Amino acid sequence: MNNSPPIGPGTVYVVDDDPSFSKSVSRLLGAVGYPVEIFGSAQEFLSRVVPEMRGCVVADLQMPGMDGLELQAALGKTATPLPVIFLTGQGDIPTSVRAMRGGAEDFLMKRAPKEELLGAVERAMERGEQERQQRARLKEMRSRFERLSERELEVLEWVVQGKMNKEIADDLKINLRTVKLHRTNITRKLQVQSVAELTLMASEAGLFKT
Amino acid sequence: MAGRAVGAMLICAWMIFAACDSRAQTLNPPAKAKHVLMIFSETRDLPGNAMMEHGVKEELLKESTGPVEFFTENLDARRFPDPKYDQLFKDYLKDKYRQQNLDLAIMFVSRDFQLARQLPAAFRTNLPVIYVVVNDLNDPNPTNDTSFTGIFQRFDIQGTLKFIFNLQPETRRVVVVGGVSASDQAMLGKIVETSRSMDGVDFEFWTNRPMPEVYQAAKSLPAGTVLLLSTVQSDVTGTKYLTTDIANTLAPSASVPVYVMGASLIGSGTLGGNVIDFNELGIEAARLAMRSLNGTPVGDIPIELQSNGVPMADWRALRRWNLKRSRLPGDSVILYQPRSLWEDHKTFIILIAAGLLAQAITIIALLLQRRQSRLAEVEIQRQRTELAHVARVSTMGQLASALTHELNQPLGAILRNTEAAEIFLQSAEPNLKEIRAILADIRKDDQRAGAVIDKMSTLLKRRKLVSERLDLRELAEDTVTLARSDAGDRGVKLVLEMPAHLPSALGDRVHLQQVLLNLIFNGMDAMLTTPRDQRLIVVKVGKTNDGKLQVGVSDRGVGITPDSAAHIFEPFFTTKPNGMGMGLAISGTIIEAHGGTIWAEGNPPGGTTFIFTLPQFEEKDAGDLPAVS
Repeated sequence: MNNSPPIGPGTVYVVDDDPSFSKSVSRLLGAVGYPVEIFGSAQEFLSRVVPEMRGCVVADLQMPGMDGLELQAALGKTATPLPVIFLTGQGDIPTSVRAMRGGAEDFLMKRAPKEELLGAVERAMERGEQERQQRARLKEMRSRFERLSERELEVLEWVVQGKMNKEIADDLKINLRTVKLHRTNITRKLQVQSVAELTLMASEAGLFKT
Repeated sequence: MAGRAVGAMLICAWMIFAACDSRAQTLNPPAKAKHVLMIFSETRDLPGNAMMEHGVKEELLKESTGPVEFFTENLDARRFPDPKYDQLFKDYLKDKYRQQNLDLAIMFVSRDFQLARQLPAAFRTNLPVIYVVVNDLNDPNPTNDTSFTGIFQRFDIQGTLKFIFNLQPETRRVVVVGGVSASDQAMLGKIVETSRSMDGVDFEFWTNRPMPEVYQAAKSLPAGTVLLLSTVQSDVTGTKYLTTDIANTLAPSASVPVYVMGASLIGSGTLGGNVIDFNELGIEAARLAMRSLNGTPVGDIPIELQSNGVPMADWRALRRWNLKRSRLPGDSVILYQPRSLWEDHKTFIILIAAGLLAQAITIIALLLQRRQSRLAEVEIQRQRTELAHVARVSTMGQLASALTHELNQPLGAILRNTEAAEIFLQSAEPNLKEIRAILADIRKDDQRAGAVIDKMSTLLKRRKLVSERLDLRELAEDTVTLARSDAGDRGVKLVLEMPAHLPSALGDRVHLQQVLLNLIFNGMDAMLTTPRDQRLIVVKVGKTNDGKLQVGVSDRGVGITPDSAAHIFEPFFTTKPNGMGMGLAISGTIIEAHGGTIWAEGNPPGGTTFIFTLPQFEEKDAGDLPAVS
């Protein structure tokens, strides 16, 4: 395959208690163009996690102290849930299943072919970037929704459900004109042009889920 | 009533009958004894005569219903050959037995029958006479005479020669010693006649030599020769002899075996032959006598003419001439064979033998038992080594994941480094410094992988205990590392606590590692039902107050019941469904062999702590501990 680095704005964080292995992985990833940072334990890495981090984590599954799965769980609770690729000296199915359920990007043998590792890192990088962007958009959307008043949110809920203005006015026992005013305010505050866009946005932001 | 009367009458009748019967017995006079006179032509005390007399008396007393009274007389004709003595003897008998009412006379004759024929005339004319004639004279046919019957016994020449050639097939020469009396000559004549039919054997007749010369010559006969003693009543010089005496003198000094034809001649050194059994002859005579005494006229009893012999040999002579008894006919009579201890003390021997046998069996049983228990000990020892090995191998099985991890770590690093190096080499100006560093790392990881394999093969090897100075901290670290991946899989947190400094211990690295691994795995097994987030194994290395080194392995498992606590170090004791029950037993053995102790105690927060101690290494400790495993 081609070795041309699919470089994005991200770093590979290698977490392994075996310095020799960490070094070799970082050499390979460095050689194909990724910035790499090495951490000797899960705790060390977690203590250094900051929201600005972009990229993915390559972690040893078996480590003294906090192991890979624990690292994954802890990382998932932070504001920067980077994708995790697990490396293991030996694969066993129950562990890999748990790892994948926990959202692991991949689960690789330490001696897996280079292409598998690089492919996994590339995918993780993409996913990480997507998730980061989605997280940012979501955050931005949520901040827009936060500008809406209580009454405007009530009206929005009905709109998203496809109700007509008249029905909304009857249900909320308010004036039809007032409904129209609320709708104008909503589209202005949320910067949307159509009801369809509004519905999509509300859904994306996780609003009004049953 | 009637029944009782009949009963009383019967009893009365019986009493009268019984009284009559007893009276009849007391009044009946004693049965008249049969009077039997035995007359010997030679002295009565000759062995053959004594044998015949014994045979007659034995048989007659056995068979006769009434008493038999015996009278004996002897003519001693050899020593008193003058015919006038015959007359005197006749008169003597006539006068002596006039009043005796003889019933029967038995005459034993070994010389001229006619001479003896005249004797019974001394008695009442119709006295039944039974003759027992032992010689080879051609007697006149006595068929017309109804006043006697008898047995004419010939010597078994043919049988004796056959006896000789059976026993000594190598015989090429038979020297016959005989006399010159009419009886002697008659017998020699028979021997000559018989010898003619025998090819390949020389017969030599020493009849024209005085007996002393014969004795002398017999001393230097060559091998392949035998002596056959015929009868010698007188030799060429006219000297009278008894064949018995000749046998007595000739046999002991002869250089070859002396064969005879009469049982009475066996016993003084002669070998034997198909001989006349005089005792049997007496018995046969007695049977004829019995018929006569029972009323059968002697004329009606046929005269028996016989020449059968009985194979008979002197055991001592067989030994002297080193001849095989097995060559004799199966029914041979062997005389003078020492009675064996068996015959003399059969019961005693059986008892002693039984006692000895019982004792021997007991001893053998005890020896076997001891041997078995020794073998069993050896076997147990062997099995223990085997089991220790098996336990190690099964520990290895448990450790397979750990070892895979241990190996994949350096191998993975080598792979990644190689891949990186390949990429570096693709650039126009490869970073040689980096590549050199990579190669160094590859070498290091290769050595690391090699070390893992070495460690594994050491663990797998069946070996005896080899003590060495060792750092318990290092050992604990290595072991915990080995167990780590397994612990991870089982969700067990594995914590190692140890001081920064610890004195060296004395022990066998592999065995102690096995013990520690076993304790760690046991701990993990005990925590199957413990909630995942509470699964914890703490390995604690330290020192006791009395200067020993100590390793503790604590788990948060199910703990040990007091019942189990007493048995956990016993072989085959297990609480695990698939446990072999050997782990702790072997661990115990290993620690004991190190001079340490191992025990278990309850863990305050729950679970169990296994602790073992080891001696410190001291400079004097060099060399091997006693072999265990």
